[in-house]
Amino acid sequence: MSALIEVRGLSAWHGARQVLHDVQLAIEEHEILGVIGPAGAGKTTFLRSLNRMNDLDAGCRTQGVIAYQGIDLADRAIDTAALRRRFGMVFAVPVPLPGSIRQNLALGPALGGSKSGLEGRIESTLRAACLWDEVKDRLDMSAPSLSGGQQQRLCLARALMLEPEVLLLDEPCSGLDPISTSRIEDALQELKSHLTVVLVTNNVMQASRASDRVAFFNGGRLVECGATKQIFINPREKETHDYISGRFG
Amino acid sequence: MSSRIRTASRMFVSLTGLAALIIVIMVVVILGNIAVNGWELLSWEFIAGNPRTGMTEGGIFPAIFGTVVLVLLMTLAVVPLGVAAAVWLHEYARQDSRFVQLVRLALQNLAGVPAIVFGLFGLGFFVQFTGGGIDQLFFGGTLTFAQPCILWASLTLAILTLPTVVVATEESLRAVPKIYREAAYALGATRWQVVWHVVLPNSLGGILTGTILAISRGAGEVAPIMFTGAAYFLPFLPGSLNDQFMELGYHIYVMTTQSPDVEATKPLLYSTVLVLLLLTFALNFTAVLIRAKVRRRMRSS
Repeated sequence: MSALIEVRGLSAWHGARQVLHDVQLAIEEHEILGVIGPAGAGKTTFLRSLNRMNDLDAGCRTQGVIAYQGIDLADRAIDTAALRRRFGMVFAVPVPLPGSIRQNLALGPALGGSKSGLEGRIESTLRAACLWDEVKDRLDMSAPSLSGGQQQRLCLARALMLEPEVLLLDEPCSGLDPISTSRIEDALQELKSHLTVVLVTNNVMQASRASDRVAFFNGGRLVECGATKQIFINPREKETHDYISGRFG
Repeated sequence: MSSRIRTASRMFVSLTGLAALIIVIMVVVILGNIAVNGWELLSWEFIAGNPRTGMTEGGIFPAIFGTVVLVLLMTLAVVPLGVAAAVWLHEYARQDSRFVQLVRLALQNLAGVPAIVFGLFGLGFFVQFTGGGIDQLFFGGTLTFAQPCILWASLTLAILTLPTVVVATEESLRAVPKIYREAAYALGATRWQVVWHVVLPNSLGGILTGTILAISRGAGEVAPIMFTGAAYFLPFLPGSLNDQFMELGYHIYVMTTQSPDVEATKPLLYSTVLVLLLLTFALNFTAVLIRAKVRRRMRSS
């Protein structure tokens, strides 16, 4: 199986501080790649370079190649709006926009100018995000009044409305209770049959439960990347072993 | 020693309290005086009638009508312009560029220009230059827009109130959480779509606050409209954009300074001031109601 996304020599700077050092990493199709590492390891910067969210940060600069279906996503000339429609993203904090559940879900398609078949897609994405049963009778209720866990699943559904090829998750369960967390993890297992997931997480256990492969970052460098079992049972690097066994981070 | 400190501190508290009290007293005196003296003549006939016998009798309907239309036209001009300028300043412009600094400097100065200067500017720029140009281009030199009229008066007021709207709008744009913008960008929004679909709907409340402030300011100004469109006395209501109009503030000024019989116009004057105050409150109150409705809808829908 050849890689879906191939990251080559990716470096990034926030102002004068280098936060990613020459990262080489291949992401396979239909896998869940867990990205772990202590705070400040560059996980989020790495994730946000994939859909060019780093561009929004005036002080952030990147360098390197992100090869995806024959194009370089790091190329300045890339249409970032089109790229972000193909790479859905969920943030660490749930961000329901003011307005109803339905309005939140309809926003992505509306931005792209598509309005047809909206109702059917709303139901299927809410089902995929394991939220349908809880909200099916109140789609016109205010999104910010949902619980935190429901809001985050709504954000997942909102990203899925774009029918993305890749899903980027930035610590999506950091503020959620265990039940909401397991709902989101269940949803991801279902989703990977038709898309590819990159899951940044501070929770080592979540990475071991949910991901097929794990990439361990530390100090802006990719320390190692391998099958989840191998990383957790037999890591090549001592740093990795120390981190997953809770000695630092 | 300690008793002296206590006395000093008590005195300080009393002085600050007194300062606050003076504000209340001034408002009560002003409003009370106007309400008591203006109440008598206030009637349907006064509100809906025309001035008669050299403005010593009759009503002030033309002035009320003129004021409302003037303020509405001003709002129509200043809100789109001010919001667009604020969006550009806050969402698009590079904050460190020379041009942005120039625009901000211009806004601050605009806010400090005396109202009478706006009046003269309006006369020179709108009436003579713009109006004259339009007449040359479209009316073959026939006098049409190169004269004081409600259009130029409202545009002059719009420029006067522009800084208010820009500052209030920019403030509310700044208050939209960064994460909302990021969420929209992550859904594939272009910069323009982020502004239109996420930023502006979430700053409507602040924009309306700016509108309210602009209305309060605009409805009370006399100097900017004196040379640009307000009429001393008109037997008809303005029917088109290039008609002159009567305005409450200006009418008050005229009755105070130009009346043939000051004693005869005094009761009329009081009632006119009362109507101007009530009208300003009413315009404000309408805007506040709209804002409350918008905020409620943003929160609950």
